Amino acid sequence: MVLRFSKVCFRHAESLSVKVMSEKKSSPVKGPFCAAVRSNKRIGERFYRLGLEFTGAGATAFGRFRPGQFAEFDLSAVALPPREKIPEDLADVCQRNILLRRPFAFVDVSAEKNKTFAELLYSVVGPASLRMTTLAAGDSVNVMGPLGNGFWVPDGKKRAFLICGGMGAPPLQILAKVLTKDFPDIEVIAFAGAKTAKDLPFEGRLDEISQQLGFSLPEFAKYGVNSQLATDDGSAGFKGMVTDCFKQWFDKANPARERSVIYACGPEQMLAKVAEIAKEKNIDCQISMERRMACGIGICQSCAILCRANGSNETVYKLCCEDGPVFDSKEVVFN
Amino acid sequence: MEEQVDISVDFAGLKLVNPVFTASGTCGYADELADFMDINQLGGFITKSITLKPRKGNPTPRIVETDSGMLNAIGWANVGLDKFIEEKLPVIEKLTVPVFVNVAGETIEEYVAVVERLATEKAIAGFELNISCPNVEKGGISFGTEPELVKEVTSAVKKACGEKALIVKLAPAVTNISEIAGAAIDAGADALSLINTFTAMVIDIETRRPVLANKTGGLSGPAIKPIAVYLVNKVYNEVTRQRGIPILGMGGIRNASDAVEFIVAGASAAAVGTANFIEPGCAVKIVEGIKKYCAGHNITNMKELIGSLEAK
Repeated sequence: MVLRFSKVCFRHAESLSVKVMSEKKSSPVKGPFCAAVRSNKRIGERFYRLGLEFTGAGATAFGRFRPGQFAEFDLSAVALPPREKIPEDLADVCQRNILLRRPFAFVDVSAEKNKTFAELLYSVVGPASLRMTTLAAGDSVNVMGPLGNGFWVPDGKKRAFLICGGMGAPPLQILAKVLTKDFPDIEVIAFAGAKTAKDLPFEGRLDEISQQLGFSLPEFAKYGVNSQLATDDGSAGFKGMVTDCFKQWFDKANPARERSVIYACGPEQMLAKVAEIAKEKNIDCQISMERRMACGIGICQSCAILCRANGSNETVYKLCCEDGPVFDSKEVVFN
Repeated sequence: MEEQVDISVDFAGLKLVNPVFTASGTCGYADELADFMDINQLGGFITKSITLKPRKGNPTPRIVETDSGMLNAIGWANVGLDKFIEEKLPVIEKLTVPVFVNVAGETIEEYVAVVERLATEKAIAGFELNISCPNVEKGGISFGTEPELVKEVTSAVKKACGEKALIVKLAPAVTNISEIAGAAIDAGADALSLINTFTAMVIDIETRRPVLANKTGGLSGPAIKPIAVYLVNKVYNEVTRQRGIPILGMGGIRNASDAVEFIVAGASAAAVGTANFIEPGCAVKIVEGIKKYCAGHNITNMKELIGSLEAK
């Protein structure tokens, strides 16, 4: 089985949660599926990398995974760590029972024969992610997906710029993999930023590496993609915001705008800045948005994103889970 | 063995193949859950609330998880009557499950306008009157807390219903739910559905602000189930049993055991809501589970189970 990534520029339906009218069979194309845990590795103070294995229908469904898509995880039955291992700042909040699924993007997905392997990065920030730290090889997790639209590749592009902030990196890492594999004519360059070196979800001693010239993050370098690092406090790489780092580089290199495309994922403030830069320089730009989700499948209407209605001054709400999570940056109305 | 168990129920003049519904706001307008289950295997389906004009809904955040529950303040985001007729009705026409349209509005006239327009559509089995939503400034629960207002809106809508069944959805946080129930039935309700969500709040102690943009939201999920079961039983004992009006019970149902609890309490049917977000195919599993329960307890007719609570 080969991972395919559509070369055609596609769009999802513009209107709110419209489904095509036709006979639908009740076949579980999105699951939920049981995935086996293969590994759960700590890669930073609060960062972990979880490796999963899908078989059967789940392998087929995730074999069709596109970078930028996500999945919804049921963590309600996963155990808490022992009391003494719980960080103090999470002690109270982790007493709460988990009800809703949690959405996660994937950092890598690869299909082999009858199995599909998927990896995700997670940061321990609350009661559900805290529970994830106790998952061990052999455990199983209930996963619904793949969900959402994913990134698309417009025609005629020669250069793709991946701009990520903090935990926005994973979807762009798998995008780097697929772009370099399926679109060898496109040069891919990554810009990764965070508040401090500790907040970058990458392995390795970044504070040391940052002092070297020609530094490249292994996570991107393994696909042949050069990268620039930026931290607000200068503890690694460029001192300042990743968007300033990108702007500075772009103005200097001055590549052809119509041949360029930006893909961005990270905190909403960062995405707003990226959208501004893309508009100012007239560059195609796709941003992966994030919203609290209850269902993740277009039903509950919780994950609303304010968008410009086509060719008018009016605004509409689109759904992050179904119309996104990837949006054309020109569409989204930021606060 | 289980397929032979008859769990059909009589409900507001209709015969339903089983007592399981999906609740309004948790299953879209028509076949949005078709990727996860065969909707036609359900006893009933209730659409997202439809208002006369399209509504964008509230600003985000619209939801927040709570302990075994969640708050929602969606704010009746819906495509509006015209788009519903144009885009969703053709899909509903292809479904065999009885579909009830949940009707919402800010004024009695708006409620009536929606019902009037849809009352002649063959594809629709009936309406669920939403006078219990706590997340909108006007309409919703503001109609559902005073017996006189309940009577007014229910009889106006009933007049417009024609042949279609009218379910009235009740709010839980009222002074006397039995009084509200009685008022709705006096005004012509063919069935009652209870309960809708509880007004509730979650505060972020770092920002010292409510998490929801709307400040408050409706609490749903397993946390409210015991209260819902109590209120269903209360309304059954005090009102609907004597008056022969069926109850559609809901509030935190996620499996067949939960559904059976409501039926024993007095509900003729049970609706799954929040659980659809977590297990989108659970409603069909619940149908199978109820069959198993009946087979295992020698129940050959749902009438034996409905309101069979022994409370001496």
